[in-house]
Amino acid sequence: MKTPNPTTAANRRYAIEFALSMLAYVVVLVISITVINYGLPPAWKLVFALLPIIPIAFVFAAIVRYVGSIDELQRRIHIESLALAAGITALLAVTYGFLETVGLPHLSAWFTYAAVMVAWLIARPFVARRYR
Amino acid sequence: MRNRIRVLRAEREWSQAEVADRLGIARQTINALETGKYAPSLPLAFKISKLFAKPVEEIFDPASEE
Repeated sequence: MKTPNPTTAANRRYAIEFALSMLAYVVVLVISITVINYGLPPAWKLVFALLPIIPIAFVFAAIVRYVGSIDELQRRIHIESLALAAGITALLAVTYGFLETVGLPHLSAWFTYAAVMVAWLIARPFVARRYR
Repeated sequence: MRNRIRVLRAEREWSQAEVADRLGIARQTINALETGKYAPSLPLAFKISKLFAKPVEEIFDPASEE
């Protein structure tokens, strides 16, 4: 019986989709920055500023598809680490929010995104270790 | 949950990777099942039972719930 293993196939497909989306992101980002710096009417600036969201949405779709097609334990590990990442980010965000009230500089919403992704990455091996 | 997957697998001289492929799961998952670190869902338990041609209760020991 040589049916392809869906979990292995999902890993491969995700790697390909992620690489292509990130490549598209870099290309679109460069185009977007170049065009914006040319000096466009504000409405067009808005369009080009939002353009890199499209390849990012593809990354999101790839992640959703990936988590949906791996086996139940691998999915559980990802979801548990994502839940931990959300909690850690919430704690960090609230902590920094309080620090802002006593004069620390206001941070961009970008940091929230970075915090979730970094926390997910860090949490994953710790969660996975519980099942080893 | 304790189970006999490792023994049944050894009897058939299958590697973890082979069993993982037959069940459509990751090798790490079959390892977690064998060591009892992870109790499978009912559908996966029945797939395992079908693969080894043994009833679920002959593979998994419900008395050993961790």
